[in-house]
Amino acid sequence: MLTRSFIGLSLLGGLIAGCNPTPSSSGDFQPLSTDQVVFWDRQTTETAQLLQRITDEFNDSQEGLPVRIETTGNYGEIYRKVMASIQARQLPAMAVSYESMTAQYAASGAVVPLDGFVSAASGGLSPEELADFFPAVLESNYYSDYDGQLLSFPFSKSVLMLYANHRVLRLAGIEAPPRTWEEFLQQCRTIREKTGKPAYAISVDCSTISGMIFSMGGELVVDGVFQYDQPAARQAFGLLETLMEEELAYQIQARTFDDEVAFARDDVAFTIRTSAGSANMAVAMGGKNDDWSMNPLPQQNLDRPATILFGPNITIFKTGAEQERVAWAFTRHFTSVPVMTEWALATGYLPIRKSVADDPRMQAYWDAWPSNKVPYDCLVFAKTEPNLRGWQEIRSLVEKAESAVLAGLKSAEEATKELQVEAQATLARAQQ
Amino acid sequence: MKRALAYMVLTLGALLVIYPFIWMVGTAFKTLPESMGGSLSPLPQTWQWGNLSATLQAAPFGRYFFNSMVVGITVGLCVVLTSLLAGYAFARFSFRGRGVLFGLVLATMMVPFEITFIPNFVVITRLGWYNSYAALIVPWCANAFGIFLVRQAFLSLPEAYYDAAVLDGCGPLRFLRHIGASMVKPTLVTVFLFAFLGSYNALLWPLVVTSDPSMGVVQVGLASFVLDSGVRLNLLMCASAFVIVPSILLFLVTQRYFETGALGSGLKE
Repeated sequence: MLTRSFIGLSLLGGLIAGCNPTPSSSGDFQPLSTDQVVFWDRQTTETAQLLQRITDEFNDSQEGLPVRIETTGNYGEIYRKVMASIQARQLPAMAVSYESMTAQYAASGAVVPLDGFVSAASGGLSPEELADFFPAVLESNYYSDYDGQLLSFPFSKSVLMLYANHRVLRLAGIEAPPRTWEEFLQQCRTIREKTGKPAYAISVDCSTISGMIFSMGGELVVDGVFQYDQPAARQAFGLLETLMEEELAYQIQARTFDDEVAFARDDVAFTIRTSAGSANMAVAMGGKNDDWSMNPLPQQNLDRPATILFGPNITIFKTGAEQERVAWAFTRHFTSVPVMTEWALATGYLPIRKSVADDPRMQAYWDAWPSNKVPYDCLVFAKTEPNLRGWQEIRSLVEKAESAVLAGLKSAEEATKELQVEAQATLARAQQ
Repeated sequence: MKRALAYMVLTLGALLVIYPFIWMVGTAFKTLPESMGGSLSPLPQTWQWGNLSATLQAAPFGRYFFNSMVVGITVGLCVVLTSLLAGYAFARFSFRGRGVLFGLVLATMMVPFEITFIPNFVVITRLGWYNSYAALIVPWCANAFGIFLVRQAFLSLPEAYYDAAVLDGCGPLRFLRHIGASMVKPTLVTVFLFAFLGSYNALLWPLVVTSDPSMGVVQVGLASFVLDSGVRLNLLMCASAFVIVPSILLFLVTQRYFETGALGSGLKE
């Protein structure tokens, strides 16, 4: 009897102890290191070496705490690690993150608003410097859920592009990649007819859907209301449905780059991916740049083009005044024109400042191959995804809906209707 | 005739199983375009011996191997010890609440890693174990599956052995040390193998509790070939080819015990 009670009470005690309360937003976070400013990043191989060199140059130029780069997995793994670190009340000084992730971090009171740093007389950014950034690049870092504060700063940006395999297009008798979605569908049909193979390898991805909706003249959210039941979203899902029904496309395995493999093997003519993938694609295509190109996403209306801008930002965490000061100084250094130029040339990420275009090295890079400049030209009409609390979860709902349509489990009409309801409900819960 | 046919089928099956490994080793020496070309041929058109040095330079694999072996072997030994003691207790001792306790142990197998990941990380951080071997080893020192296997192994031992030992004045601990442990050796080797492989193949936990390159493990090294924009397939295959060696060697050495332990446990007299 006594043993049973003891076991029962122990279990109850364990359950109660396990109910961890939400951390307060009192700012009582400790830095991971007191003698270094830790930056959790995703880069590996050559880009990691370049980032380390940039960091070493920064450290040599200043007398504050040195910045230390720690490669911490992919963005999803960094997100999970930061969320766990918030619970543990011990954080790095900064980490790369997408807007949806920063919004989640901010809900725990862990994020430093950067408005004060930007507007500071010393070490800030002048109005001219701020105007040098492409508007879309900065806009997404102001969070409406948090009184419009600047909670992150751009790091590595890219745009969604249509990759076209010209070897396959030539086989099908097509001279140029499609510029509109109508042309895209028609070309897919021609390629299927002439080659017997699907034309497009589909990677299930919320950002691709978002890009398609933008390019079809739609929006994702208007005044806090999602637009998945509106014509543009229905058209995007409808196109995918048609492509699958007519066997013009197929779905690749999730979280793989099988579409790039298929593209390099001439199994498909098209893939839709980030412009940051061009370096890898160039290697995969054996350096034969005449055989492929990067193109703007097909458009519904060529007079009002739109595409999606993505790529992570830097979020600075509340780890103490000196850590935050150095973190901002590093962010400012990284986004300076000389560093941005070097970063863009070496990595294929976009230069996020307009004056980078004046650099002769950038001009030479663009002249070397016409496709190199196409992503940059898309910056002026690139738009970003919402940075609302809850968007991270909604991304999974979008991908679930896309998978259902591709698998033929739901029609585009059904999928978008359900997605609208679920997305709105998720947003409402997250905003509470 | 029948035997020849059986051997032919088995050989074909073995070739089908082993071919991906041969392909992996061959692809390790191809160029990236060739590796992505989808060819089933394991032979590169031109052998890229430079891939070896490119792979080793991409991440500190020497250090990663050392860490993986230290962590894997330590976890394996700790799991063997805890499984042996707990499995023996559950099999041989009769005490109030034994069934409930064993049920709770088994229930832990149903709790997904996602649930315990954050609380475990919080504990690790508050203990000051972040970026340490303790973080990589301690949380994995006890394993419900190992306890279950060892318990089953002890239950399958004839009671006569235990009775005879007791008659000779042997206490429970002495029985375990001198008789029981050696009788369930195949199961213990199997438990070690599973624990080692589980630790050696882990990625997310090491990634979360370490960030210093000197504390990384081989799986973290493999992940460095998966970029935002694509996979360096040839270098990934090169790294995979030598990362897999310890697992294969360990399995070959313990194969006999594994077959007996995994397939023979649970059989009662």
